[in-house]
Amino acid sequence: MRGSLVRSIALAALAVALPFIWPPSLAGQASKNRPMIAGCPSVSAKFHPCALEKAKAFSPSRMPDGTPNLQGIWDAPLAMGFQNIEDFPGDPRPGGFGPAVSVIVDPPDGRVPYQPWARTQRDENIKTYIDPYAQCLPTGVPRQMANFRTRQITQLGNLIAIVNEAGGHIFRVVHMDGRAHLSPTFKLWMGDSIGHWDGNTLVIETTNLNGRWWYDSMGHFASDALKVTERLTLVDADTLHYQATMEDPKVYARPWTMVFPLERIKEKGYEQMEEACHEGDHDAAGFVLGGFRPYPGPRFPQ
Amino acid sequence: MRRSLFAIASIAVVPVFVFAQGAGAGQTGLHRTADGKPDLSGIWQVMNNANWNLQDHNAEKGVPAGQGVVDGNEIPYTPAAAAKKKSNYENRATADPETKCYLPGVPRANYLPFPFQIVQTAGQITMLYEYAHTVRNIFMGTPHIEGQLFWWMGDSRGRWEGDTLVVDVTDFNDETWFDRAGNFHSDQLHVVEHYTLIDPDHINYEATIEDPKTFTRPWKMSMILNRHKEKNFRLLEYECFSF
Repeated sequence: MRGSLVRSIALAALAVALPFIWPPSLAGQASKNRPMIAGCPSVSAKFHPCALEKAKAFSPSRMPDGTPNLQGIWDAPLAMGFQNIEDFPGDPRPGGFGPAVSVIVDPPDGRVPYQPWARTQRDENIKTYIDPYAQCLPTGVPRQMANFRTRQITQLGNLIAIVNEAGGHIFRVVHMDGRAHLSPTFKLWMGDSIGHWDGNTLVIETTNLNGRWWYDSMGHFASDALKVTERLTLVDADTLHYQATMEDPKVYARPWTMVFPLERIKEKGYEQMEEACHEGDHDAAGFVLGGFRPYPGPRFPQ
Repeated sequence: MRRSLFAIASIAVVPVFVFAQGAGAGQTGLHRTADGKPDLSGIWQVMNNANWNLQDHNAEKGVPAGQGVVDGNEIPYTPAAAAKKKSNYENRATADPETKCYLPGVPRANYLPFPFQIVQTAGQITMLYEYAHTVRNIFMGTPHIEGQLFWWMGDSRGRWEGDTLVVDVTDFNDETWFDRAGNFHSDQLHVVEHYTLIDPDHINYEATIEDPKTFTRPWKMSMILNRHKEKNFRLLEYECFSF
């Protein structure tokens, strides 16, 4: 009797957890439904050169201090929270991932250039651990920019705030006043972001990351040595070319770069709402019953 | 011709504008935004022990003494709510939602022992809290969302009354407390906040609390928010439930 109760609780918990482990295909469908964005093919490898070429001819609206105005609420229609940042053939099981197209534009094979041990760890991650984001932990960078629903960019001259709606409560303050990064002692979920303008492109360098999050639902990871350099460039009034280059000599064999479009929410008066996450989270218990464990961060070879 | 007319117009307008700012605004010498409002942008923190207990309290082991922030020091609970508050106090070590790392609610977010950052634009004032990446969006000059929501941080709508930012907050759930001493509210909570810069680095902060299910009359708390002026100061993280 007691055994069957435990079993039904475990099954119910697994039912709750399943959509997170095998969410329905969104990225694959989205790129099928949206072959073009801002006049460019939506697949990252093709969007990347096309959008940058278009951006050269575009003159963005400007803030009073003359810098490009990136303010607004931005959706990531093709990234969809990152199921998988690499090519994925699709999972035929019911409710399984559909095919995903890699957002990685460099290396050209669209795969994370892991050191050999790290590729093995990534495979272990999806078998063993819970995606930290599914436990309502912060996204880290660059997943903040790919996350489900929207993020709002606000520019004050000496800082740029990037505030997300989904995922509980996630934000970054990008310092634009020329200050130096924090001491390496600090390890933060969202890192320490310092920005500057390179022509019409906002460049953000983020360090002091804690390496405890994943890039996607499929176990792709970094360490606390990661440096992310993001470049945000308006392609037209309502489209951003988003690029992030990852350097982490403890995990990758070489730097690598992802690209995807961000699209402006044009609905007048659109407001980001509150999404509590941890406050109502009952999924973590399901994952644990399903045999998954909280992700402890990378395990380096001895 | 056109250019010289513009120049004359500028000369005529500038003194009037300066005068209007000086006379109408009351507090002079404040940094102002492009639309002439006091600029609250910056990083702020209280220097009080309100998060331990809103009311006058003596020290205990691990708890600093504090002069209360409630006007008159009395919180006018109904008899039933007073009994609930007493039981909350007795169970505070585990019952306080802060111990579960939940979103802190309003006004408690503003007097947690962590800094928070105000990002002010004309249409929206965003408050970013070091505690658990809590976010508040205060939308300026728009009505509350229709229907009742049950949000941890409520629905915040702001307006300027002279140089004071007034924020009307509704649509709360009943799951947050005001402090670690068990002071609480229901989902009928209505908070009206007043933010007034009294000099460039201090905000006089007042919150009027109304909740007919819990209190017999509205009551008010007041405190000072202090600007962080340390060089290169920035928000860090207290990702409460990651520990």
